[in-house]
Amino acid sequence: MDERKHTGSPLGTPHGARPDARTDIGTDLGIGDVLPQVRLTGVTKRFGNVLANDGISLSIMPGRIKALLGENGAGKSTLMAMLAGRFKPDEGRIEVAGKAVDFASPREAIAAGIGMVYQHFMLVENMTVAENVLLGQEGGFFLNPAEMRRVVGGLAERYGLPIDPGARVGDLSMGERQRVEILKLLHRESQVLIFDEPTAVLTPLEAEALFAALRAMSAQGKAIVFISHKLEEVLSVADEIAILRRGRIEGEFLASEVHSPAELARRMVGRDVVLEIDRDEVSAGRMVLDVKHLSGEGLEDVSLDLKRGEILAIVGVAGNGQQQLVEVVCGIAEPQAGEVSILGKSWADFFHSRGWKGELAWIPEDRAGLATGRGLSLTDNLLLTTREGFAHGQWLERGRASETTRGIVRDNDVRPGRIEAQAWQLSGGNLQKFVLGRELYREPRLIVAEQPTQGLDVSATEAVWQRLLESRRTAGVLLVTGDLSEALQLADRVAVMFRGRVMGLFPVTDTAQVERIGSLMAGLRD
Amino acid sequence: MSPELIIALFAAAVQAGTPILFATLGEIVSEKAGVMNLGVEGVIALSAFAAFVVCHLTGSAWLGLLAGGLAGTLLCGLHSLVCQVFLGNQVVSGLALTLFGVGLATFLGTPYVGQATEGFGKIAVPLLSDIPVLGPILFRHDTLVYLGYIAPVAVWFLLNRTSLGLGLRAAGEMPAAAAAAGLNPQRLRAFGVLAGGFLCGLGGAYLSLAHTHLWTTGLSGGRGWVAVALVIFAFWRPGRAVIGALLFGGVMAFQLRLQASGTNIPSSLLLMLPYALTVIVLVFSAARARERSGASAAPAALGVNIEPEG
Repeated sequence: MDERKHTGSPLGTPHGARPDARTDIGTDLGIGDVLPQVRLTGVTKRFGNVLANDGISLSIMPGRIKALLGENGAGKSTLMAMLAGRFKPDEGRIEVAGKAVDFASPREAIAAGIGMVYQHFMLVENMTVAENVLLGQEGGFFLNPAEMRRVVGGLAERYGLPIDPGARVGDLSMGERQRVEILKLLHRESQVLIFDEPTAVLTPLEAEALFAALRAMSAQGKAIVFISHKLEEVLSVADEIAILRRGRIEGEFLASEVHSPAELARRMVGRDVVLEIDRDEVSAGRMVLDVKHLSGEGLEDVSLDLKRGEILAIVGVAGNGQQQLVEVVCGIAEPQAGEVSILGKSWADFFHSRGWKGELAWIPEDRAGLATGRGLSLTDNLLLTTREGFAHGQWLERGRASETTRGIVRDNDVRPGRIEAQAWQLSGGNLQKFVLGRELYREPRLIVAEQPTQGLDVSATEAVWQRLLESRRTAGVLLVTGDLSEALQLADRVAVMFRGRVMGLFPVTDTAQVERIGSLMAGLRD
Repeated sequence: MSPELIIALFAAAVQAGTPILFATLGEIVSEKAGVMNLGVEGVIALSAFAAFVVCHLTGSAWLGLLAGGLAGTLLCGLHSLVCQVFLGNQVVSGLALTLFGVGLATFLGTPYVGQATEGFGKIAVPLLSDIPVLGPILFRHDTLVYLGYIAPVAVWFLLNRTSLGLGLRAAGEMPAAAAAAGLNPQRLRAFGVLAGGFLCGLGGAYLSLAHTHLWTTGLSGGRGWVAVALVIFAFWRPGRAVIGALLFGGVMAFQLRLQASGTNIPSSLLLMLPYALTVIVLVFSAARARERSGASAAPAALGVNIEPEG
């Protein structure tokens, strides 16, 4: 590698950059004379006033596996959608093998040799493996099933992807289906293979097999992009790692430069302050949530407590038990072992005689799917969780419900201000403000907020934070977030989760402990 | 019953089953592409009339047959337009197509009611027709019946042994996968609907050119609905469509014979027989489909329109 080829990345020095040439790899330069298979320069994409990708520069090299690491909502999927031809960048350029391209459709991206394995497979379940792989590529009008099976079987063997080409896709496991998707790309001779969270649907054994296949493909000169938020697998499979946070590349380095998952976690969550917020003290009141030794469903001996007037942040890399904890607290899943008491009642008592007002409110991560009905008006969406408040037996007081909706829309500055608007017509930020207003209308004493500002712009984030802080006067807030800066700004205490365990629970004022959050997120207690 | 009578009954079953077979195959092609067409009844009625008129005016049965097929294609083109371009509901559009086709055929056909046409005559296949039992049942019919022997094989071959058929099935199972593979699922669906319309049209043409040889109102007589039901019975497979068509043809022929023989069962009850059988068959095939879920089920995206992107 050539020292003199060093140039700064357009974003300035990458996070954790060292003055040796190795940091260059992938940021803006190829390795020596090798032409990058794909090169992005200053690629920017906005959705409304949300900056999904901000001046991204990246090189994807043949024969190398590049991991793109970032939390949900960091902009990974947007970036890859632009490479796959589904969106056009607002600014910046994309080059494939040295030539600038401007994809008008996914078809053009495929033709340029960029293939994508989505989380949701694009497979016809009622057809065989061979038919799926060769669909659109049959090479002649008449089909010869035996020949098709032979071609696909040969391809599978060459890349070490064991599969029965005659099997019906609907009968296959998720891991095998993924192999079919990979074979589709290999048959099209895609030079760049992009995997979007490929291990999300796999068993650990299948994931191992996938990694072996990735290495085999990269050894045969394919450029591979591996999108993930799982630290261990990124370290075990990637040659290069690029970290994406809030739409920007926050650092790029060789996997061999990273010494531990803890270091990677620190680099991934960062500590950048997006906005400062005034936070007045509220004195703690009665206990609203008390979890003791909760286990089962992926949780192991989780204990935590929450008082009125307090925000307790649960941080950790997604998929480490946060979801299961929320499901138990919100009554979706029954606690398997251990005790959960909510507002002074046992779990069973609480959910048996649950009222709509003055108790528990949940702001789920999936605001457009779980929190609201996309085709319902705002008034109907209000009634989803508050209908008991507007009911006389079988009759609903719609007039009063509309009046209340209008009040929520006004007080929370939800736009457009029409209460007849359907949920899908609102932007993410406005929908979230409405959901928050609705849940706070229930005057809850326990609030569970999951990723409440994910994908929101700065002003919506500020509004949501403000409401959560205000609600401490009457409630305790359990804040589940992947954004460490959010946790540190809002919370009184932080609990770090890893593999279903609480690795540490401490006040945010305990600086020594806060410094260790990265290690704790990676499962290291030392 | 004498052996001659039984042979005659089977031969009549083959004949009565042929139009149903064409219509069923047509609907299979359309549904395999993902478009449900409940307008088969209307397509049969209008194409029967088109075939009759053209044959009546030109004297050519083959031109009549072609006219029948084209009338079916044209009418289904309307269905394709409504469902694929304007994203109309497939069920509603299909029902409208039935009302429209039957109504138009009746309206246009009024001056011709009772008029006869030459159509297709019977041709005994040399040698084959002399085979005992099978000969008279299978090989002493008109040309269209023989065409009906080839059609299921041709449809099966199209669906399973050509790239066009593979794409067509993908468009009916998962249009997004077809699009991801660089195919145009809308075009494939349109082909399925139009080709299916042509086959249904041949079934309609059979009725006026080979079955009755004259024009009368209500010629379709519910055969379109039977075809729609038979698609489900056949699990969308051309081979099983043959069995279904023969079964229904047999019941139709049987109840006609029974009426002719002067039984004291009320004729309206006998006329009901094929349709009662439709209900029974549907119940049984639904139960069987549940048993062997998966492989035999309907195309996954059947009845679901492809939304334009963006």
